[in-house]
Amino acid sequence: MRRVILAVTGTVAGLVALLSFKSHVPSVPVSAAGGSGGSSSSSTSSSSSSGGQTQTVPGEFPQGSVAKNLPAGETAVDGNVANTAYGPVQIQLIERSSKIVKVAVLVQPANTLHDIQIGAFAFPKLIGETLAAQNGKIDAVSGATYTSAGYIQSLQSALDKRA
Amino acid sequence: MTSVARRSGPARHAGAEAYPGPTQPSRPGSSRRPEARPAPVRPQNRPARVGPRGLLAVIIVGGAVVVALWWHSTPGASGLGGWLTGAGEVLGLLCGYGVVVLVALMSRLPPLERGLGTDQLARWHAMGGRYIVSLVVAHGLLIVWGYAVEAHTGVVSETATLLTQYPDVLMATVAGFLLLGIGIVSMRAARRRVRYETWYYLHLYTYLAIALAFSHQFADGAAFISNLAARFWWSAMYLTVLVLVLWYRVVVPLRSFRRHRLVVLGVKAEAPGVISIYIGGRRLEELDAEPGQFFRWRFLTRSLWWSSHPFSLSAAPGSDRLRITVKNLGDHSQALARLQPGTRVFAEGPYGAFTPADSGRGVLLLAGGVGITPLRAIFATLPGRVTLIYRASSERDIVFRNELDSIAAARGATVHYLVGSRAKIGGDPLSPRVLRSLVPGIDQQEAYVCGPAGMTSAAVRALRAAGVPRQRIHFESFEF
Repeated sequence: MRRVILAVTGTVAGLVALLSFKSHVPSVPVSAAGGSGGSSSSSTSSSSSSGGQTQTVPGEFPQGSVAKNLPAGETAVDGNVANTAYGPVQIQLIERSSKIVKVAVLVQPANTLHDIQIGAFAFPKLIGETLAAQNGKIDAVSGATYTSAGYIQSLQSALDKRA
Repeated sequence: MTSVARRSGPARHAGAEAYPGPTQPSRPGSSRRPEARPAPVRPQNRPARVGPRGLLAVIIVGGAVVVALWWHSTPGASGLGGWLTGAGEVLGLLCGYGVVVLVALMSRLPPLERGLGTDQLARWHAMGGRYIVSLVVAHGLLIVWGYAVEAHTGVVSETATLLTQYPDVLMATVAGFLLLGIGIVSMRAARRRVRYETWYYLHLYTYLAIALAFSHQFADGAAFISNLAARFWWSAMYLTVLVLVLWYRVVVPLRSFRRHRLVVLGVKAEAPGVISIYIGGRRLEELDAEPGQFFRWRFLTRSLWWSSHPFSLSAAPGSDRLRITVKNLGDHSQALARLQPGTRVFAEGPYGAFTPADSGRGVLLLAGGVGITPLRAIFATLPGRVTLIYRASSERDIVFRNELDSIAAARGATVHYLVGSRAKIGGDPLSPRVLRSLVPGIDQQEAYVCGPAGMTSAAVRALRAAGVPRQRIHFESFEF
């Protein structure tokens, strides 16, 4: 019995120690890969707009470029590729008369199905927030910190190109 | 308590033992007296061995490397989902590593067999097995929960997603349940509710479980997916242990079967329910068997070939014959009494770390019942000052009395027989007081204990109380 208690407490203590070291990452490192721009915007606490725009269905969001068959009046701007620890993120803005009407995800972390699953939840939320805020000042999605940071950086670079 | 401390020393094969022959001459030509031939020349250094501390250090370093692999591959763990998933990943990696260690412990690797002994390896395996099976269960639960939290879905739907969409997770889940089932049966086997053979053959399913669980590690494990080097070394680890198992559990015994051609020479009744089996063969000195070691024996008759049982050598191994002594404990040992001369024998071994070296101290051998068998072999060969205490419940149960007396006379050693039930003798004959009076200077001696579990633990306690330090008390348990 003593051994069992020792094994359980030892394992749990080891895991907690490991994970608490891992969760003390000071800031989410995202490096810009795609050429210029990439002025990484820290997701400050501005818009609390996620309330109004979350009617998006999880898992359903535009993936891949939609630039080829755009209706007249709409233009596409590609953001830079933002490299996150889980893989690169790149988005594409579709706008009509300076208004963001759509965001497509060109590249997303897809090493594991788990990454895709997280993206399937996070991207619709992030896109919803973007459409509501109409700028790059949006909140990260909890549980998808890295993907959010990559998204926001790529989004900001697209917004910078447009300006 | 460690059963056997390691030491290096000169070879203990001081000389050939006067080898007792079977009473029933079994074959024409086997009546030659083997003791007449010169002792086989033994190498001066004992075969290599790894002790418990060394092995533990290797296992811990390996575990640390595995945790480092997770650390290296994980960007961060934030929030409840991140923590749960992170913990699940660490445990998963440790399981993948742990099963390999568990199999390696049972690979019959000679340095481990001689260094820790089969009984201690089996105890480590059983303990580690329970731990790893618990980790497997925790790994599954934590991953489901963590993924569900991170994907903002329910636990049930996440379970379905994992099983149906994640590559190879379904196979791994089957493997997990297999391991859990084997773990439960093993615990029941430890309590003697399951037949040894059932337990043994069920255990072979662990290999299936390990194979089923292998692919999901690379297909879903973040630590491997983008790390070719990690995949390479991980596979190398699995492959190494697979080769070790195949080599030492299959190839070496088969080769030894062909080379040594073991056959039953004869069976001799020693005491009620106790028989000795004499086994002849060729070039047996190449086995490097030491007194105190055992083999796993498989007698190739129609009814016995499928089960193998560990029995100690009850006389120092000769170059052309071996002797084992078996107490009638079940169907199997009953059938052994009817073995016909000429029956071929498949033996795996030698195994066991119950092999005293000449430490320069006096040596006390403490035997209980049929536990005399390995001590009988040691008694005849161990150089130095040796005392044998033999505990038996009645005169009739004493085996090897004549042999022991003549060995004692030849080498000037002492044998004490402690006979009779406790009630008859009036108290425990293995009390510290009795031990001290039988063995003057007992606290300066090395002690080797072999007997039934109850007797062994009582004897170890008495020896401690009589002033023998723990590291000089060695015992082997037959329960593996």
